[in-house]
Amino acid sequence: MNAPLANPGHGSRQQFELSIGSVPLRLQMSDGQLFRAAAERYSAFSDSTARPVTIALNDGGPGKSVLPEFGYEFGGAVLRAFANEIRFDGVENQYALDSMLRVFLTWKLLNHNGFLLHAATIVRNRKAYIFTGRSGAGKSTVASLSPEGSVLTDEISLLRRENGVWRAYGTPFWGEFRAAGSNTSAPVAGIFRLLQAAENRVEALRPAAILRALLPNVLFFSTAAEANRRLLDILSQAALEVSGYNLAFRKNASFWEVLPA
Amino acid sequence: MNTAAAVSWQKNPALAWREIDDETVIISPNDSVMHELNETGSFLWKNIDGKKSAAELAELLAETYDVSADVALSDTQALLEEMSSRKLVMTIPERRVSS
Repeated sequence: MNAPLANPGHGSRQQFELSIGSVPLRLQMSDGQLFRAAAERYSAFSDSTARPVTIALNDGGPGKSVLPEFGYEFGGAVLRAFANEIRFDGVENQYALDSMLRVFLTWKLLNHNGFLLHAATIVRNRKAYIFTGRSGAGKSTVASLSPEGSVLTDEISLLRRENGVWRAYGTPFWGEFRAAGSNTSAPVAGIFRLLQAAENRVEALRPAAILRALLPNVLFFSTAAEANRRLLDILSQAALEVSGYNLAFRKNASFWEVLPA
Repeated sequence: MNTAAAVSWQKNPALAWREIDDETVIISPNDSVMHELNETGSFLWKNIDGKKSAAELAELLAETYDVSADVALSDTQALLEEMSSRKLVMTIPERRVSS
């Protein structure tokens, strides 16, 4: 993994290369403060080994007459993905940049058989255990009950199908755990929908139930029918190929005892 | 909503859907709402092709699930009404022949 790149060759713009879920990205910006914040925030994910997708921050670019393949607006920030360039405009701070990166990845991952999921990912015995649920479901609790270094993310997991195998990646999108995430991956052992209860119990789910468990927790922002069909294809394949469970658990580490090996 | 037996029905083209385990999961991209259809709903959904009327769909339902024609038509119209209220299906406008 390489250190962040500062490239003075494009005017006063600086660039930073990173990789999230093996999707290589290059952020270009002229705002020094934002650059330093981004370089620090994504330092664990810096990577200049692959050919990246370049994202121009706050650079204006094509007028409104050019329609993007994908566009999204959030809190004054605008994401536009054109055929040959990606632009984030109106990005005022690292938090807005983080939001734009999440949104962009949800769209970009469609071409990589992948998706982002509200889930904590814990690696145990070299397998990734995915604990999914919305806010308050227990993702950060699960992460806090797991050994240091085993948490790939406590908030947003990235799943991809590579060479016929589903792998979970760490992401720099953290929640209450406040860890920076880990830029590593592991084959998926199972997806567990978190249900808090007085006792630990695990229940295997049929593929349709796995799909229903995934959908409310998937991050996706495109309203285009074709993009949604592609997403549903990817999720259906995951539901058919990955084991899924309801996990009722007490708020202590004993839940690991009921998980399938 | 017109569910008269002769009107043809089509799926809303803006939707994304997949069948899994004899169930159908439908996503409405504009409002990010997920809809689920049970086995009977999935059967109808598969056969809604922009050409068939409620009566024709009911006939297929009666043949497949061994129910009477009256029950099949009643169930079909109720399901179409329900799916229509959720904007999953719509009727095809009848063509008018100019004189």
